[in-house]
Amino acid sequence: MATAEIRMQQGRMNGRRTAQPRRPAVLRLFQAERSEEIFPLLLEEIIALGNPRALVVDVNLDSGEITPAAALKWPRAQMEKFTSALWMQDHPLTSALHSLRPEVMEESNLHNHPIYIHPILYSNRNLCWEADRIRTSSCLAVQNSSREKRVRLEDQVCSTCEMRAYAAAVVVELPKNYNEQTIVELGELIDLANRYLSRLFKVEHYYNRMRDMEITIAQMGTVMQSMADPVILTDTQHRVIMQNKAAERFFRVPEEMTEGLVRAVEFNNLLFSAALSSMLVSGSDSHRDLTLVDAIEGEEMLFEAVSAPTFGPEGIQLGTVTVMRDVTDLRRADQELRLNYERLSEAEEVVRQDRDRLNLIIENVGDPIVVCDGKAKIVLVDPLAQELFGMEMDVVRDTIQFQNQTKLTAFIDAFTSSFSDRETAPLRLYNPTLRQEIDYDARSGKIYGERGQVAYTVTVLRDLTALRKVEQLKVERRMLEIEKFAATGRLAATIAHEVNNPMEAIKNAIYLLAGAIPDNAAPVYNILKSETERVARIVRQMLGLYRNTEQVKPVNVNTIIEDTLLLLNRQLQRANVEVQTQLDVLPDAVIAADQIRQVLSNLVINARDAMPNGGKLRIRSRHIPGYDDLHGWVRILIADTGSGIPPEMLRSIFEPFVTTKGERGTGLGLWIVKGIIQNHAGKLSVKSRLGRGTTFKIDLPVVKL
Amino acid sequence: MSADQKYRVLVVDDEAAVLLTYRLILERQGYEVVACGTSRAAIEAMESQQFDVVLCDYSLEEQHTGFEVISAARKINSDIPAALLTGYATKETADEAASQGIGVMFKPIEIEEFLATTSNMLRRENESKQEGSEEDTRGPESNHQS
Repeated sequence: MATAEIRMQQGRMNGRRTAQPRRPAVLRLFQAERSEEIFPLLLEEIIALGNPRALVVDVNLDSGEITPAAALKWPRAQMEKFTSALWMQDHPLTSALHSLRPEVMEESNLHNHPIYIHPILYSNRNLCWEADRIRTSSCLAVQNSSREKRVRLEDQVCSTCEMRAYAAAVVVELPKNYNEQTIVELGELIDLANRYLSRLFKVEHYYNRMRDMEITIAQMGTVMQSMADPVILTDTQHRVIMQNKAAERFFRVPEEMTEGLVRAVEFNNLLFSAALSSMLVSGSDSHRDLTLVDAIEGEEMLFEAVSAPTFGPEGIQLGTVTVMRDVTDLRRADQELRLNYERLSEAEEVVRQDRDRLNLIIENVGDPIVVCDGKAKIVLVDPLAQELFGMEMDVVRDTIQFQNQTKLTAFIDAFTSSFSDRETAPLRLYNPTLRQEIDYDARSGKIYGERGQVAYTVTVLRDLTALRKVEQLKVERRMLEIEKFAATGRLAATIAHEVNNPMEAIKNAIYLLAGAIPDNAAPVYNILKSETERVARIVRQMLGLYRNTEQVKPVNVNTIIEDTLLLLNRQLQRANVEVQTQLDVLPDAVIAADQIRQVLSNLVINARDAMPNGGKLRIRSRHIPGYDDLHGWVRILIADTGSGIPPEMLRSIFEPFVTTKGERGTGLGLWIVKGIIQNHAGKLSVKSRLGRGTTFKIDLPVVKL
Repeated sequence: MSADQKYRVLVVDDEAAVLLTYRLILERQGYEVVACGTSRAAIEAMESQQFDVVLCDYSLEEQHTGFEVISAARKINSDIPAALLTGYATKETADEAASQGIGVMFKPIEIEEFLATTSNMLRRENESKQEGSEEDTRGPESNHQS
């Protein structure tokens, strides 16, 4: 900084032109490059004007304190009096600052000589650059210039650029011979200095602002670079303005360029810019999933890109900031989680269905069911069992239920400790609903735990009396059916018998006429002959059922099957029917062989007729042992792959004169089959599906001899 | 039996039309036929004439049965072949017929079967007679009382 002495010399050098003292002062003040140079220069100029001494007090606009900032020729000891604060209203300096008017004090407690106090405040006639740029008139410098604002802490901050003003006061000891001129000169000099100071202050403020911004930018840059996630700043054309290192990994062509890497980077850029475009279309703060290729590692990574637009000071969008989050692992985990969840719910569904099914079964068994734990304690009962034993896990108060439980527990206890997996035993329990003792068939099974111990036992109680009743009902119904069948048969037989003799005569007569028919009557004769044969066939079949002539004797059913097939072999071959047999070893059945042969041949012929285009005929025989060693069944299955029987006909096919063959059938074949099987105390049933085929099942009783 | 000598057949049936047609069929086949409508008429016929075979309806007039006719015939000729013609037979009937060596033909009878059965019975009878006694070709009388 230039010293006061040098400046004096310069003034003297320009002595010839410095007839008025103000010009050099202006020039000298103009040489100040920094705000802090202004006060020393001003004080020198004031002294140069002939004033004995001068000082400047500065207002701290943070604290409100007023303290001397610079002094010339003023003894240091006297300066303490020039310390004040903005709230000390009665202090001359404070009141001068608040009034913002220069004044001369002939006498005061501040100094023992007349003094001139000139308050100065940051002010400008023109708007500052910031206010100018955003087109506002709210500029503190201008407001101070027009004295709109007061010297108060809260007032002296610019509402536009947040700049803090300065306030100060210049105090000058006036010479003894001072006059009006002296005061005017001083005032002009100080105002001039303040104008310079304000401009420098403004420039410095903007410089400081720029510095602050640079620091902020640098800090932001550091923050951005230190982020592990890619951050990209793009302009409105999606061109990259700035990106951090994490982003460069994906979007900048690496130094060692290989074709693959370059292509990966290009592809990433393409994807990114497409994502940006789509986000721009869909809304301001949207996000997208983006699969990018790591240009260094070469692996695919899934990102979630979140973009936000950046705006300029005028509210114009400048570009977009995009932050990308690596969600590869997250998505994978998410996917895994979802997959596991789906599996879980599937499994849960299966379990639920199983449970529902089981519950449905238990509810519909219609028999009491009891589940006990390994200590024979009841843990689960169905409603029927509840009647007998009371609620599970409940203390039984009912005597009947207690007695029932005691019986059950004794059985279950023995069963649980036994070695068998299942057991059946009779159990006589009192049924409170029926109010009587009932014979139950207790069937128990074991459920084993992880260590092979008995975890639970399940017991189903079957009401044998009810079972017997059902069995008896069945027998009665069967008897009734047989009776009905027999009655129909007797009626049919009576009719057939009555028809039989006249028909015998007709048939014989037709035979006798054979040679005596003129040629032109031959067709009519043939009709007569064939239709009579048909009637004869019907009568023969009907009567056949009651020609109970054959003796029953032990026969192997397999031989009868083989005989029948041998007999019908040619017919079957001609009809293109393939025969498959599976004949197991059978015990002899006591039967009328001819009748069973008729049964088989009726069924085989029906099967052939059901397969006009050929097919498969399967005949199977096997032995079904009974519950005891003595009794059992011989089962014959005759299955075709033919046209099947319409469901509505299935009920009636065993009745007489029901046929699926139209004119060709007598409608008696199956009726006879049924009659024969019933006469043998056998069972006959049929299953059929239209277009798939029909299966007849015959069970003939066998007794071990 | 000489070739020109015709076999004699006794046919019994209470239905006149049936009886007539049987007779005509058998006659056309070359048998000498006596047709009777009742068991009484048949037994009377047997007392005066000899037959080689008896074909008899099972149910005859007034609860009479074919068995009576055949028993009567067997009293005269114990080896005479016989067959019951019937639309319906119980197990007992069939058993009894079988035990006496009487054939059973079920009505409606296939005429071919009817004729074949008749001629078979005659041939078997003829063969057994030839085995039994070479000289006696008209065997039935000689065995009457046995």
